[in-house]
Amino acid sequence: MEGNGEISDTDSGIILHSGSDSPTTVTKDVTTHTRAMKLKHQDLKDKLEICLLELKKLCIREAELTGRLSEDYPLLPGEKPPQIRRRIGTAFKLDEQSIPQGESELSLVDAELALQMKIFEAARKLCREDHLNKAVRKSRLLQCKREEKKLKRLQEIAFQLRLEHGRSSPLPAFNVAQDLGTSDDSSLSDSVVQDEELTSQSSQLSSGIPCPGETDPSLIDGSYISPPLPLQPLHPTPCPSPSPSLNSTLSLTSSPANDPPPIQNSPWTESSLDQPYQKSKKSHSSKIIPSTNHMLPPLEACLAQSGLPVQLSHLKLSRCQSTSTPSTPEMRMHRQLSLRLSNPESPFERGRGHTRSSRRRLTDYAVSLPGTPPPAVNYGTHAGSEDSNSEHSFASHNSSPCQELLCDFPKQYRSAFPHSSTAGSHGHQAFPHAGFYHNSRHQSSPSFHKAYYNEEMVYAPDLDLAWSSYTQHPPCPSSRYEYWYKDVAVPHHRPQRPLPPDPRLSPSPAQWDLPHYRPSGVPQQVVNEQLKSWHRRSQLKAPRSHSLDRQGAVRLKNMSAQEGTCYQSQRYAEQVTLSPAARLVSDSSALASR
Amino acid sequence: MAYIPGQPLTAVVEKIEIQKLRQGDNLILGFSIGGGIDQDPAQNPFSQDKSDKGIYVTRVSPGGPAEQACLREGDKILQVNGWDMTVVTHDQARKRLTKKSECVVRLLVTRKSLEDAVKHAMYDHPK
Repeated sequence: MEGNGEISDTDSGIILHSGSDSPTTVTKDVTTHTRAMKLKHQDLKDKLEICLLELKKLCIREAELTGRLSEDYPLLPGEKPPQIRRRIGTAFKLDEQSIPQGESELSLVDAELALQMKIFEAARKLCREDHLNKAVRKSRLLQCKREEKKLKRLQEIAFQLRLEHGRSSPLPAFNVAQDLGTSDDSSLSDSVVQDEELTSQSSQLSSGIPCPGETDPSLIDGSYISPPLPLQPLHPTPCPSPSPSLNSTLSLTSSPANDPPPIQNSPWTESSLDQPYQKSKKSHSSKIIPSTNHMLPPLEACLAQSGLPVQLSHLKLSRCQSTSTPSTPEMRMHRQLSLRLSNPESPFERGRGHTRSSRRRLTDYAVSLPGTPPPAVNYGTHAGSEDSNSEHSFASHNSSPCQELLCDFPKQYRSAFPHSSTAGSHGHQAFPHAGFYHNSRHQSSPSFHKAYYNEEMVYAPDLDLAWSSYTQHPPCPSSRYEYWYKDVAVPHHRPQRPLPPDPRLSPSPAQWDLPHYRPSGVPQQVVNEQLKSWHRRSQLKAPRSHSLDRQGAVRLKNMSAQEGTCYQSQRYAEQVTLSPAARLVSDSSALASR
Repeated sequence: MAYIPGQPLTAVVEKIEIQKLRQGDNLILGFSIGGGIDQDPAQNPFSQDKSDKGIYVTRVSPGGPAEQACLREGDKILQVNGWDMTVVTHDQARKRLTKKSECVVRLLVTRKSLEDAVKHAMYDHPK
């Protein structure tokens, strides 16, 4: 009885009793069961409500974005669909570059800056929209101003950071300075306040990229230059390359990647300079003519500064090689060296002494064979092939085309020198480079040194031009001007477009240099400031050109004036850095010369 | 301050002239250097850019000739008597600095505070 009297219903969980005492318990069970069910029901109901609410919210958000209420919107009978206010949003596409890659503060600021740039563009576009009532227009103007302020602040921060980082960031200052300029253009056509057109962003992106190329004429010249590279040094007249080299020098600051070092890193050590240096003693004794070390300019230094560590020394080496002078053991050394030269640092490392002696040899040679064309040609081709070699290595780690060009131009350009010096056969002095920057007489002049790091770097290619054109052919300033106008061409088009509300933001310094460009709104004062600083800068050059006069670089004075123009038009950021620095330099040099 | 060989360099520099102190047979400069292209730049505690292989002043002995010439710890030496120091090995730099034939070394150095000063001047100065 006990055994079969109880059947457990597993489904309901209710225990049915067949026993006589069961009825009361059964009814009790049923009531608890229904209560449980009710609770469950309520629970589910609540859940459903929550879900519906969530769905509603989502639908409304969707509607706000798309402007259309979704059909899935849960309408209770009798309930009206809610009024949807469409939200107008913007969406920006940023360059890959601008997205913060590292943890570095600079990259974060850069990213923020890029975004802010877009926001500002959008705000400006909103300002310019037609058919606005006064209140809206006013608020938009305000908004625009606010964004502009923010943008400027960010730019300053980014600039400062960049200064601190010594411009070692993967983004050259072009992102800050030039982008502002170009974005003026692109913002008119491309950057769109997002209503519907998501597609426009792609066009914006694509147009954003070519802009730097358009404004950077080195691109144009680059295509012209690279094929006839070997010939260039021989025919400097038709070659406008010096200016591009200046330009690209200015527009870039650094390349993100370093070549793997030729010299193995040893742990970082310090060495006191108070103890007598044993090795140095050895080097003293091995030095053949210690005194000429002072007379001979440290060519390596020039080279290292001016952006072509290898080429010149290498060129000389290869020159030695190409000549038919009797090969001494030393010469053989050079030959070995020149094989290694694709790496920028090795000549310094290994061949410091050799380079020097080979230089001397070369000058001797230059005297003995004045202006012999065939070796020069030979030399040119040689230089070209070597250049392409190192050019390759540069290209591999440089991100932008102009960076690559930077490496090319001075190189290729400078290779003209030994040729010109051969023609001139000045012996020592024939090395414009060397004599020019590092003549021992000049080393003692304070102004020279002060100026060295600040300016010479940038100007070097141009000064070189001055020299070579002086020794070789009548100067052709026209090509230079042409070039600069080309450069300015892009900003030059701007006035055709409606001017942005605040013109101070739009003109790049380049515009101010154009005589016929007068942005309607540029405050006279700003222009004056520019002119003043320009004047100051060109005055600054004076001490340097004096010293150069002694070398016979007659054209330099004129050049420096031109440089003032060219240079100023170049880069906003660079220019800003330099002017106070230059002032400092001039001040201190004035002090020192007293 | 980063310097990439082959790239142009803009730096605010200070000229420092150190008169070496003669002590018996030795010429005392009164500072120590570290770095160079043959040393691991990442271990340089003074550089801001850890790929910078320049020569840095690591120690300036108090009262020494270097201190008198206002050389400071952490300065980056750009030139020594006109010779470039941005792409040299440690030993080359030592050689340049400790030449027995020269009792004066003229340095071009750069340091962060110099750049900062210029930056400030720049912002005070209307553009």
